Amino acid sequence: MPDPVLLAINGPIATLTINRPDARNAMSIEILHAFHTALDQLADSDAHVLIITGAGRAFCAGMDLKAVLIELSGDPTLGGQLLSSLAELTLKLRALPLVTLASINGAAVGGGCGLACVCDISITHADAKLGFPEVDLGLCPAVIAPWVVKKLGQGVARSTMLMGGVMTGQQALDIGLVDHLADSRQELEQMTAEIANRLASGGPKALAATKALLNTIDGSTDPDLVRKGAKLSASILATPEAQATLSARMNPSK
Amino acid sequence: MIERTTMDNIAVIALNRPEKRNAMTPDMLIELQQSINALDNSTKAMVLVGNGKSFCAGFDLKMCAADPQGGTMRSLLTELSKAVALMRSQPFPIVLGVHGAAVAGGCALLGGADIVIAEHNTQLGYPVVKIGVSPAISAPYMMGSIPPGPVRSRLLDTQLISGARAYQIGLVHHLVDSPSDVRDKCIQHAQTLASKPGSGTRATKAWLNTITEPMTAHAQNGLNASLALTGSDEERQRLNALWGN
Repeated sequence: MPDPVLLAINGPIATLTINRPDARNAMSIEILHAFHTALDQLADSDAHVLIITGAGRAFCAGMDLKAVLIELSGDPTLGGQLLSSLAELTLKLRALPLVTLASINGAAVGGGCGLACVCDISITHADAKLGFPEVDLGLCPAVIAPWVVKKLGQGVARSTMLMGGVMTGQQALDIGLVDHLADSRQELEQMTAEIANRLASGGPKALAATKALLNTIDGSTDPDLVRKGAKLSASILATPEAQATLSARMNPSK
Repeated sequence: MIERTTMDNIAVIALNRPEKRNAMTPDMLIELQQSINALDNSTKAMVLVGNGKSFCAGFDLKMCAADPQGGTMRSLLTELSKAVALMRSQPFPIVLGVHGAAVAGGCALLGGADIVIAEHNTQLGYPVVKIGVSPAISAPYMMGSIPPGPVRSRLLDTQLISGARAYQIGLVHHLVDSPSDVRDKCIQHAQTLASKPGSGTRATKAWLNTITEPMTAHAQNGLNASLALTGSDEERQRLNALWGN
């Protein structure tokens, strides 16, 4: 089995690639564990910029629905474990002294889009699809909601998360879900390298100090809301309504 | 002064005093709260719009000027604050659509909505400091919606902004081209909301209310700040100069 997460460090710039392209990089427990390990390794490295991207066509399709559908996994605790691990991952990612850049190469959905919101800067291309379709499935994006609110502001986050669905790269740029937009996927790689190099030209201590202050001001250092969010998301996920909706989604023929 | 219709699981509530551009009276705001309180558990989404040429021109200032004791202004502020809080506390999402003007008290109603749709030429804002009235009542909800910089500009500057500008600062979430499209667009959005499994939507709205709580917890402070000026010399003189007989 290939490594669930690839980490490459080139001088000041590290690149973390979510590597489960056949499942649109959906977050399984293996992906989350490997992600945690990679971030722990980075804390000891000399890199001061981190690019996060996805292998294949998608950035990250969110939670692994096969793992959270109890009739498939046979384990009603798995959803809660995944959400708790995601919650801790977002806290760890936000606290990282490196400047983080989400290079959204394709679909960034639900928790995947939430991860992008935890990053300091995000970039995508015109053909990518981004959004929070949790409510469409009867779910509650409570773990990532605090991060989406910090990225978009409370009002726009409220409107976006309650309406559900997905949006284009251009719409994502309009509402501030991403900070840069490339015309195409090819151009995205080039723009990502340019932005990463520009970020890497800054002094590592100055960047880390600035990020730490921003984290203090916007409440990113307080883990309570995110951890409570994991419990709330798990409780909604376990409801018969959510499980039935997920089951219908996974087995459209039934 | 409030018209209520129901379409499947969607409640459509309209401010209905078109000959006065839906200017608010205390009774209208009480009726609005009664209409919302009368909605039953089957409601999956609510729409709030204004009948006629404008969403809402704000308080009925002629009525305020005719009441030198200031009781009308106090009732308007108090009932408006209660109406916005009531909207926010509903378990289902609320889509609010504006056209023409959403001024002062009319603009304050945006604070209780989850999704705001506007015709791009709609005039929005708070010219009320001109008459010695403070829009502090709106500050907690606006601070809980858009970035703090634009909030200061909108509440301290009497300038009205267009729907298109309001979209840029995040006060409005979707734009439509024509005033006559607003109601239909709101209903479309409400139908989309109502088509989803309800438990996720209700939990998400409640969770967002929790996240926004540090700002909306100031709602009473905002109301008190606005009430404190009611009946002041500055307010009476300015109100009479513009709206008195």
